[in-house]
Amino acid sequence: MISARLIPQLARLAILLIVVTFVLGPLTVAVFGGFKTNGELLANPFGIPSHWNTEFYSALLNDPSFWKYLGNSLIISLSTVVLTLIVAAAAAYVFAQIRFFGSKMLMSYLLAGLVFPFATAILPLFIKVRDFGLLDSYWAVILPQTAFGLSLSILLFKTFFEQLPKELFEAAYVEGCGYIRFFWRFTLPLSTPILATVGVFAFVQSWNNFLLPLVVINSRELFTWPLGMMQFRGEFLVEWNRVLAFITLSILPAVVFFVAAQKYIVAGLTGGAVKG
Amino acid sequence: MSNATSIRASKSNSILADLMSSKGQAVLLMLPPAFLLFTLFVALPLFDAAYYSLFKWNGYGTPTDFVWLGNFRQVLDHGIFWQSVRNTLIVLAVSLFIQLPLALGLALMVYEKTPANTLFRLVFFLPYILAEIASGLIWSFVFDGNAGVASALFKSLGMDPVFILADRHWAFLAITLVVVWKYFGFHMMIFVAALQSVPKELLEAARLEGAKRWEVVRFVQVPLIWAAIGVSAFFAVVGSLQLFDVVIPLTNGGPSNSTHTIVTYLYTFGLTRTRIGFGSAVGVLLFIAAVGVSIFYQRQTNKRSK
Amino acid sequence: MANVELSNINKTFGAIETIPDLTLSVPDGSFTVLVGPSGCGKSTLLRMVAGLETPSRGRISIGGRDVTREEPSKRGISMVFQSYALFPHMTVEQNIDFGLRLSKTPLEERQKRVDAAAEILHLKPLLKRKPAALSGGQRQRVAIGRSIVRNPDVFLFDEPLSNLDAALRNQMRVELADLHERLKSTMIYVTHDQVEAMTLADQIVVMNAGRIEQVGAPMELYNRPQTLFVAGFIGSPRMNLISGEAAAKHGAKTIGVRPEHIELGEHGPWKGRLRVAEHLGNETIAYIDSELGELIVRINGDHKMKPGEVLQFQFLQEHLHRFDESGRRIHREQTLVTGSATKLLHP
Repeated sequence: MISARLIPQLARLAILLIVVTFVLGPLTVAVFGGFKTNGELLANPFGIPSHWNTEFYSALLNDPSFWKYLGNSLIISLSTVVLTLIVAAAAAYVFAQIRFFGSKMLMSYLLAGLVFPFATAILPLFIKVRDFGLLDSYWAVILPQTAFGLSLSILLFKTFFEQLPKELFEAAYVEGCGYIRFFWRFTLPLSTPILATVGVFAFVQSWNNFLLPLVVINSRELFTWPLGMMQFRGEFLVEWNRVLAFITLSILPAVVFFVAAQKYIVAGLTGGAVKG
Repeated sequence: MSNATSIRASKSNSILADLMSSKGQAVLLMLPPAFLLFTLFVALPLFDAAYYSLFKWNGYGTPTDFVWLGNFRQVLDHGIFWQSVRNTLIVLAVSLFIQLPLALGLALMVYEKTPANTLFRLVFFLPYILAEIASGLIWSFVFDGNAGVASALFKSLGMDPVFILADRHWAFLAITLVVVWKYFGFHMMIFVAALQSVPKELLEAARLEGAKRWEVVRFVQVPLIWAAIGVSAFFAVVGSLQLFDVVIPLTNGGPSNSTHTIVTYLYTFGLTRTRIGFGSAVGVLLFIAAVGVSIFYQRQTNKRSK
Repeated sequence: MANVELSNINKTFGAIETIPDLTLSVPDGSFTVLVGPSGCGKSTLLRMVAGLETPSRGRISIGGRDVTREEPSKRGISMVFQSYALFPHMTVEQNIDFGLRLSKTPLEERQKRVDAAAEILHLKPLLKRKPAALSGGQRQRVAIGRSIVRNPDVFLFDEPLSNLDAALRNQMRVELADLHERLKSTMIYVTHDQVEAMTLADQIVVMNAGRIEQVGAPMELYNRPQTLFVAGFIGSPRMNLISGEAAAKHGAKTIGVRPEHIELGEHGPWKGRLRVAEHLGNETIAYIDSELGELIVRINGDHKMKPGEVLQFQFLQEHLHRFDESGRRIHREQTLVTGSATKLLHP
C-alpha cells in the first residue's frame, strides 16, 4: 500500500526537480559565468568556476555608468509607481463610490486598455512624445507607462474599494465627511494591501520595460538598465563573462525584490486575471 | 407644524446641495488625471496610428503624402511580414498547446498548501518577474555556438557545435523555448489560484464516489477551473501577439529576417527606418488582431456562462 | 447493511492529539448520532470512518471487514457533507449519477436507480437543473440522493442541516427520520445540535475533547447522564448544576436538577426572586436569582408571575442527579440503571 503511493510521489518529485533545473539552470549559468575568465567560460560553461574571479563584477560595480543606468531605472520606476497609485486610485474611487451620468461609459473607456497591445501605438506615441517636447526625458517613459498601466490598476482598485463596507462611508457622511476627505482619511488607509499590489506590479513592469525607453530615449545619460545592458552587450560582444556579470548584477535587485514582495505580485496577477 | 416641515425641507435641501457639491468636486478633481493620461498616451495614439497608416511619412513635418491603403498593400505584399505572422502563430500554438498543459500539470502538482509546494511555485514563477531582455540575453549565451551550454552539449555528444540562433530551422524554436521558460510560471500561478478556490469537499466527495486521481482532475477540477483556463489562454494569445523584448537579444529578427514576430517586424521595418505610415499600418493590423481575439474570447465566455 | 466497529482509535495531527484512544460500536441498522461541542473530534471520527482521514493507531471495521487502510469508495459508505459538496458544473441528474457512471454501471441500471432516488426525494422536476438554481433544502436532498443511489451499507452525515434555516431544518429532520425508517441502513450522523441528536438518534454518542463521555439512547442520556458534561450538554434549557452546601447535603460535589424538576410556589426550603419570565405559550421559562445561584425553571404556560416577585421552591428529590469530584455520576440504584440501559439498547 505504501509503495503504491510512493511511486507516483517519486515521479512527481522527479518531474518537479527537472522543471526546477530547467528554470534555474540558465540563471546559475549566468551567475557563475560572471566569475569565470573567458577561456574557462569556453571550456566549462555551466560548471562551478574553478577560480572565483571577482574582477568582472567589481569592474562593473566601480563603473559609474552602471550605477547611472540603475539610478535612471529607479527614478523612472518610483515615479511611475507614485503616479499610478495616485491617479488610478482616485479614478477607481470615483467609479466605485459615486454614481453619475456616464460613469459606466467612462469606465469601459478606461478599461479598454486591457486588451490593447502596447506596440500598436508605439509609433504615434513616439511622435506625440516628440511633439510635446518630452523626447529624451524621464517623463517620456513615466507618462506613457503610467497611462498604459491605468486600465489594470483601476480595475484592481475598483474591485477592492467595492468590497469595503458601505456603512463606513454612510457613517462618515452622516458625520459630515465629504467624498474627497473620506478618500484620504478612510479609503486609502484601509487599502494598503491593494496599494502594495498595484505598486509592486507597476514597479516590476516599469523596471523591466524595454520597448518604450528604447523608442523615446536617445542619450546614454538617461539610459535605463535594459538599454544599458544592450549597449554593454554591443561593446563586449565576445566577452560573455562581463555580459553575464552585468546581467547578474542587474537582475539581482529584481530577484531580491521579488522574494520580498512575491505575495503582492501573485495577488495582483491572480486577482486581476481571475476577476478581469 | 408648518415650521417644522419647512426646517426639515431646507435641511434636506442643504444636504442635497452638500451632496451635489461634494460629489461634484470629487468627480471633477479625481477623474480627469486618469482620463487625460489615458486619452493622451493611449487613446489618441491609437487614432493617430489609424490616421498615419494612410500616409507615406517619415515622421518629420506633417503627413501630406496620402497613399490611401498603399501602406497596407505594401505590408501584405511583404514576404517577411508573412514570415513574422507565421512565427507569431507558432508562438501562439506553442503557448496554447505545450505551455498551458505543462502549466496545468505543474499547477496540479503544487497547488496544495505545503512549504515545499510554496517553494516550487516561487521558483517556477521567478522567470516571469525577470526582465524579458535579461532573460533573452541569458538564453542567447546558453544557445551560443562557441561558448554556450548548447554547444558544450553537442561537443559532449561528439558533434560539431551548432549555432542554434544563427540556424534558420532552429532559431525560432529556440525562441519558443525561451518563451515557455519565461511565461509558464505565470499561467501556472493562475491555475494554482483557481485550483485553490475549488472547495476541498468536492474533491473528497468525488473520491468517495470512487473517482481515481485522474478522474477527479478530468471530471471535477478541470471543469471547475475552466474560466481560469480561458483567462490564461487569452493572456497567452495576447502575449504572443505582442512578443518583442525576448526576441531582440536572442536573434534580433535574424538570421536573414526569419525570426521576426509582428512587433519586431514593426520595430525593424517601421521605426528604425522612420517609416511612420508603414509601421502604423502594421500597428493597425496588430490592433485588429487583438480586438478580434478579445471579441472571440468575450463570446466564448458569454456562451459558457449561459 | 453493516455494523461499524472502531477499536482503540488514535488520531494525532502533528503535535496535537485530537483523539487519544476511542472505542465505539455502531450497531447494524442504528441511527447513531455523534454530538459534542466544536473541536471535540466528532467530525474527525466520521472522516476516519469515511476513509478521508487515516487513524494514527487503531482499527476500523465495517460489517466485520477491516477497512482501516481501505480506499473510501470501497468501504460501502456514502457521505453527505455540511456544504453538500454538489458539483456546480453538473446537473442534479449528473450529480446523482456521478458515482454510478464512474463505476461503469450499465446505463439502464443507472437510470433506474437515479429515478428511484429522485422519486423518494421529490427531485423529479429538478433533474435538469444545476445546483446554483436550487434552494438550500433542495440541494440537501440532491446530496442525499447522491448517497442513496450507491446503496451504501453505511450512511455518513457531517452536520448536514447546519446550513439551513430553522423551519427547513425541522422539515429535513423529519425527512431524514423517514429515510432511515424506509432504508433501515446504518446511519452515522455528526452534529453539534443536541436537539437534532435527541430527535433523530436511537443511539447518541456524546463526545468531549476527543473522548466519549457517554453512549446511550436519547432518554437514557436525558434521565441518567453519567457525567457532569453530559448533564450540561443534553437538554434545553440546560440542567441546573449546584455545588456547595446544598450539594453536600445530598452527599455530592455537585447536584443537577432539570428545569422541569423544580417546584416553584409558596412552599419549599429555598427562596428566590424572579428575574425574567420568558413566555413561550405552552410553557414559561423562569430565571430565578436564588440563594443557590441563578436557576432556570420550566413552569406552566399560563403562570401569572411578575418579575421581582419572591418565591419559594423545592427540588423533586427522585429526579436529582448527583456527581462526585471528578464529575462522575453517583449511582443510587446501580443495578437498576444498568438493567434499563441494556433493555433500551437491545429491546
